[in-house]
Amino acid sequence: MDKPRRLYIFTGKGGVGKTTLAKAFTRCLTQRDLEVAYVTFQNQSLGERHGATRDVKLNGIREIELDLEDAARGYIEKKLGSKLIASWIVKTPFFRALVNMMPGFSYLIFLGKMLQLGADDPRLILVLDAPASGHALTMIESTTNFQQIFESGAIFEDTMKMLGRLNDPEYTKIHVVSLPSLMSWQEAQELRSGLVQRTPVAVEITVNNCLYPLVEGNLDELPASLREKALYEQQIVSEHREQMRCVLPHSLGRDAASIEADLLGALPNLI
Amino acid sequence: MTLTTKSFEIFCGTGGVGKTTLATARGIDLAASGKRVLLITIDPARRLKDLLGLSESQIGEVIPVEVIGVKLHALLMSPEKTILRMSQKYQTPDLATNRIVQILSKPYGGMNEILSLVEVQMQFETGAYDVVVLDTPPGAHFLDFLEGLSKIRSFFDQNFIEIFSYLGQKTARAGKRVFGLGIINRFISTGVRKLLGYLEAVTGGQFIDDFIQAVQIIYQSRDAFMKGLSLQERLKSRSECNWFLVTSVEQGKATEAINLRAHAGHFIHQDHYLVLNKCLASDLEAWAPTVPNLLAVKESLLGKEQDLKGQLRAVFPVVLEFPEVISLSPIEHLKHLTEKWKTYASHR
Repeated sequence: MDKPRRLYIFTGKGGVGKTTLAKAFTRCLTQRDLEVAYVTFQNQSLGERHGATRDVKLNGIREIELDLEDAARGYIEKKLGSKLIASWIVKTPFFRALVNMMPGFSYLIFLGKMLQLGADDPRLILVLDAPASGHALTMIESTTNFQQIFESGAIFEDTMKMLGRLNDPEYTKIHVVSLPSLMSWQEAQELRSGLVQRTPVAVEITVNNCLYPLVEGNLDELPASLREKALYEQQIVSEHREQMRCVLPHSLGRDAASIEADLLGALPNLI
Repeated sequence: MTLTTKSFEIFCGTGGVGKTTLATARGIDLAASGKRVLLITIDPARRLKDLLGLSESQIGEVIPVEVIGVKLHALLMSPEKTILRMSQKYQTPDLATNRIVQILSKPYGGMNEILSLVEVQMQFETGAYDVVVLDTPPGAHFLDFLEGLSKIRSFFDQNFIEIFSYLGQKTARAGKRVFGLGIINRFISTGVRKLLGYLEAVTGGQFIDDFIQAVQIIYQSRDAFMKGLSLQERLKSRSECNWFLVTSVEQGKATEAINLRAHAGHFIHQDHYLVLNKCLASDLEAWAPTVPNLLAVKESLLGKEQDLKGQLRAVFPVVLEFPEVISLSPIEHLKHLTEKWKTYASHR
């Protein structure tokens, strides 16, 4: 098992169980007496919701939901030393147009806020439930893109720092979550290679929700569609097993808590 | 229940649920019935490419394809190609060469949604197609797509239009020379000047200058962007557009589809359909396992599928079910789904 990183990014297509996995992983680390927070953010436009960063303890794990306007205001406030001016700037049509027209900019703001949380508390481990596939690339690429765009100024310096963190294998690790189907597997690999081209940190694939471990040995008893599904999953996993960090069986649990409990045992593998 | 074909058929959903394959199958079925079909995908995973046998170099171009014996056109969105087409069509060469626009229109630069709206509009305008089938980015990102429309509007809001119509005249007089911060400072209100001053401290002056130039260049192509707005009205119209929200049993979540429905409320009209992919229930119901652990598997899978259908039917007037198709060949898979669409269609 590796030494824990400071930032874990969970990504992959929607519906692969990313959120469940990221939350269960947060619990797994919490149970090891580490200081850890599950972090999420909504892709939103400026001015659409104005709010505050939500930081709560839910069922024993710390959950942080970032807010775009709050993060942007906080950053500008820090740089200009005035809350009043920062609040005014984020509400101007020019600033809204600037952020909304360039969606990658909002990722930069979110990433900046997140790494700030990490810098403020040097023991805190962040588990990020990142946007689905293409958008994870947008997010990672936003740092490089905006570094090229800014060229100078406070943001440029900070983007450099951000890039340093995201590219530090000791600091960051990325988990791509996939299902045991050919399409999902291909997409996960595509996403992984996209990420590997952009960052030198570890990018590992976890295959979630496999039915076959539950029915192995009883294949003849299954209806045709389930038998084919099980065989098909088995084939994909056996062909690519060495590229999969972790293979997780389908949980028979009917609610989130029992599904999470089923996952916990295997998750130290992802540290 | 039968479906009526519209000029626009929009597929959205939570990603990883077979949305692209279902949209492709729908396009094939429509083309097989004699419609001139253009299939557009803005899904960055580009798996349509494999299904349609397109090569990397054809991305961003409209390509005639033949799938399972049916002819249609396909376009895999590439933001750079769209920018290029816009700059040709509207004769704004700066659009394709501006540094900021170039970076933003990289495949993951973040302008996908806005540009795809422009692309759909440009393609439909050609009059070459009866139906445009559109496969949108996964999940809540579909909302970006809709947001794209309001972003266009807020970007070209009154303040901007005043500034840039003034700049536009200046630019024309000076022979297309692009003005930077200096010129803008001379005429814009004190409020905006103050704002730019503060922003400069954060972002560096060069950026503000570059951004304003990029905005100006984009503004020269405003007609193309503004036409995206007229698309919005058509997508809202029941007679012009069908909406398909796709989810799958495997995903086991009704919440995302229901949220999508709620968020997109003012865009989606009566003709929207929930497409539930990868259904196993009919097989599971007929199955009588004797081993206890298999009975647990059956009860869990069937129970989850029934819960899901119950939640979805409470919200969506029509749920179109598609069975789980296990097949290693994507083409076989596509054939099954095309056949299933036929049973729902009324275009024959």
